[in-house]
This record gives sequence, C-alpha cells and structure tokens, in this order.
Amino acid sequence: MSFYSAKSISFSYSNKPILNNVTLDIKEGSIVSLLGPNGTGKSTLMKIFLGLLRPQSGQIILKNTPLKAYSSKDVSRLVAYVSQSSMVTFAFTALDVVLMARVSTQSFFAGANKRDIDISIESLERLGVGHLASRVYQTLSGGEKQLVLIARALAQEAKILVMDEPVSGLDYGNQLKLLEIIIELSSEGYTILKSTHFPEHALMLGGDVVAIKEGKVFASGNSKNTINEQLINSLYKTDICIKQTECGFPVCIPRFYQNKPTA
Amino acid sequence: MLISLSVGRYDISLGTLIGFLKWKILGIGVAPSDVDLLSNIIIDIRLPRIIAAILVGAALSTAGAAFQAMFVNPLVSPGILGVLAGASFGAALGIMLGDSWIVVQLCAFTFGFAAVIVALAAARIYGNTAGKIILLVLGGVISSALFSALLSVVKFVADPYNKLPAIVYWLMGSFGAIEKSTILTVSIPMLIGIIVLSVSGKFLNILSLGDEEAMALGIRVSFVRYGAILMATMMSALTVVVAGMIGWIGLIIPHVARFIVGPDNRILLPMCALLGGVFLLIVDTFCRTAMSIEIPIGIATSLIGIPIFVIALRGAKKGFS
Repeated sequence: MSFYSAKSISFSYSNKPILNNVTLDIKEGSIVSLLGPNGTGKSTLMKIFLGLLRPQSGQIILKNTPLKAYSSKDVSRLVAYVSQSSMVTFAFTALDVVLMARVSTQSFFAGANKRDIDISIESLERLGVGHLASRVYQTLSGGEKQLVLIARALAQEAKILVMDEPVSGLDYGNQLKLLEIIIELSSEGYTILKSTHFPEHALMLGGDVVAIKEGKVFASGNSKNTINEQLINSLYKTDICIKQTECGFPVCIPRFYQNKPTA
Repeated sequence: MLISLSVGRYDISLGTLIGFLKWKILGIGVAPSDVDLLSNIIIDIRLPRIIAAILVGAALSTAGAAFQAMFVNPLVSPGILGVLAGASFGAALGIMLGDSWIVVQLCAFTFGFAAVIVALAAARIYGNTAGKIILLVLGGVISSALFSALLSVVKFVADPYNKLPAIVYWLMGSFGAIEKSTILTVSIPMLIGIIVLSVSGKFLNILSLGDEEAMALGIRVSFVRYGAILMATMMSALTVVVAGMIGWIGLIIPHVARFIVGPDNRILLPMCALLGGVFLLIVDTFCRTAMSIEIPIGIATSLIGIPIFVIALRGAKKGFS
C-alpha cells in the first residue's frame, strides 16, 4: 500500500549524478519536509515526484499506480506544484496566473467559468493577497509573487502539494502565516511535500523530515525525533546546539552566539 | 477595402464601384456601360490582391504572436525557426530551375518546411532535456544561416540578366503576381491555421509560464508546442508562396495588438489577424498607388513598420516588461 512514494530513484544530469538510490514514502495527509544543503538534489527529487524529470532508474508510485501510467492532466488533478522561481514573460494579471491552474478541469474550447473565477479569487484571499488580483504579475514583489503561486496551487484543487522552498522570499510575517496555512491545509487532508532551509520550520510543522545529503537519504523519520544537534551539524557542517525554550519549543542556537559572554 | 478597390492605375469612383458591386452581388440596378472592363479590374485583378494582402497580413501576424507565446519571448518573429529563409531559398531555386509559377510556389512551401525540420533536428542533437526553448532558437539560427547561404549560392549561379532580377524582386515581396486560383488554394489552410492557433490560445498562455510549470498544470507541452509550430510554419511558408518575403509584420503587429488588448492569446491572436490584415491591405494599397511604379511591399512594410514599432515600444508596458 503506498500513497505517494519514491522507490530507489537514481538520477543524473548528463554525467553528473544527483540522486543515488533514494527511497521515501509519503503517507496520505502527512507533511514531509526535505532538509539538506544547497545542490543536494531536493528540487530534482521533487521534480521527479511530479513527473517533470524522468529518473534513470527507480519509479514514483502515486496511489498504488506507477506515475508513468498517468497522463500529465491526471497528475495535475492529484498533485500541484509551487516552483522555486517562476517567470511570467507577458503581462498577465495575478488572477490570470491563478486561473491557469483551472485548465486541467476545463474542456478544450471552454474558457474560465464563474466557478473557476470564484475558486481562484478564494485561493488568493486565503493567502491574503486578494487585493493583488488585478495587478500585473510581473510588477509584484518577490514575496507577493510567491503567495500568488501558492494560491495557484490551491486553485488547482489537487490534494497533494509539492512546494520547493515555499517560504523563500517571504517576509517574517508572511513566513509564519504560510506555515500556519500549511498546518491548516494538512488538517483538511492535504498531503504536503516541501523543501526547506529552516530546520525550525520542520519542527514547527511537525510531521516527517527527510534529510538528504550528497544525493542520498541521510536520515528520516518523525521531525521531533530526527532533528537533533548531531544531524544538523553533520548535514550543514555547522556548529549549533538545540535548546528548548520555556514553552517547550526547540530552537537552534549557533555556537558563535553561545560563546558571547553576555548572551 | 472599398477604397482599395477603387484606387489604382485606373481610378474608379466610389459611386461607380458601389453601383457595380450592387449589380454584381445583389442584382439591383442596371449593369454599368463598361461592365467588362470594371469586372476585369475589380473582380479579377483587385479583389484577389486585396484578399491576398489581408490573408498574408493576418497569417504572418498570428504566426508571429503564436511563436512569441510558445518561445516565451516577445522579440521572436515568424522567421525564428528558419521558415522564411527556407522558403526564400526554395522560391529562388524554383525561379532558377524553370519558368513555372507552380514550381516556384511548391519549392517555396517545401523548403520552408524543410528549414523548420532542420531547425528541430539541430535542436534535437543537443539533447531533449533542460533549456529546450533556447535549443530550438539555436536550431532556428543554424537553419536560417544555412538556407541564407544556400540562397546566396543560388543568386551567385543564377543568370544575371534574366533570373537574378526575378529572384531579387521576389525576395522584396509583391502581390503583383496574384491569381485567383492561387488565393483559393492557399486561403483554406491559412484560415485553418489562424483558427486553430486562436482556439489554442488558452494553452499558449500557459506555455508562457515555462515548460515545467505548464507540465505541472497538466499541459502536454511538446504536443502544444509542436502543433503550434506546425500551424505557424505552414502559414508562414504560404505567405512566401503568395507574396514573397514580407518582413516585420509578424513582429510589429503582435506588439501593437498586445498593447491594445493585453497578453491573453485567446483575444490576442484574433486581434493580430484583424490588425495584420488591415495593416497589410493599407500598405499594399499605398504601394500600388503612391508612385507610378509599384513599390515592393517588403520594403514598404519595413519602412512604415519601423517607426510604428518604435512608437509602439514606447508604450508597450501593457504587453510585457
């Protein structure tokens, strides 16, 4: 029984190996955070999960069926993608961009109907960017663009969200708001696979964590049990310690700060 | 269009023209006294030419806008994959080989397609994965260069007193050699191309997000792109068959249209067809009336098009930035 999983995936760009025999299993309704240094293959793994890249060996299973057996239209109804950077060359409005998510539900000739527009506006509002609907996408700030793209993923109405560093480019307030929305979505039954550079975010969200280093799964499991000083330090070559705050929330504190006499 | 029918080397007053059309189409009124002459000028000479100008303008503009959407680049024009270079070479080769128009037209069409196939094959050599668009553009550059060189070879070996001037005039573009039968044959595929591209506007919109995101939204990217390339190539090659090389329309009109209606290809493509048709009709009417000799339309579109393009770009923030 597997809901959404990678079975011994190996992948290389021309001759540069990126992923080596990666196996990971995502349970329905769970939040899985991918941790790992830059260039370690997190984005590649997510693209393979979406079927945007074909692995040299191994396969992705989606609802007990190999991903290869799905058409891209079928996949788009089950899985939505928020990429790390999106370019929109022509002057589409934010609402136009979100509406594009509805294409897989429309027939060939049909345009957007009332329901499509309602869902798109609702998604924008849920991310707190309803007021940007008629703005030209290109003129938005990086963080606003990111929120519009996440709204697009919601408008796609797929129950699995794959997000490549969704908090990148967001200000502190929007980061926290997005984490809250992710928790909310998870409680509504969404399954979420995301990469992050913040171990603390993985801890805040709970769920599972998969640490990837040099193209291999380095550690995986429940985030509270898996994330510890040793893991973070060997993953990122850092020197931190993890302390519990008064409310029981663990935070990472870098050594250079601990050594400060007045800290 | 009425004005265009009326003006020319033999001026027909608007009143006479309308009277004639009424009699011809609706059967009202009396036949004008010089009915044969009028019929010859209006139905056999001017009308086919006007239809050709509208069709070519519409086809080049729509193809240009579709190429811009699928290559995610507002500076792309219909010649990007080498179709115009290939068709020019084909036409020149046809002129050199014989005197038959049919051969010239077939050669132009065939080599237009051949050039695009060369471009796609060249892109394929470099692989099939990341950066696909840039590889296609590169393939187009290679193919254009190849067929331009071949065109030079044809020009070089062509008989300089007879064939070479014919080739050069062809390449400047003209609607002078239009025949009714040609128009009928090419108008159907051109119209099909314009309609197919226009109804695919929704998918072309999504291609402009980039390949990976379009795929994640459930679009069969290769299918849409190759289908649009096929249509746009067919239309562009046919324009060379009808009227030789006409530059700039495929680049300017999409910009002007985008400036007016915005970037949504579902509206943009029909708008391009409309504007392109009207623009080329005006330019062609100007070409055949402004001076006692006919100005080659390829030259006129460039000379008139460049200032329009400069003005349009000044205010083009609505289209892209």
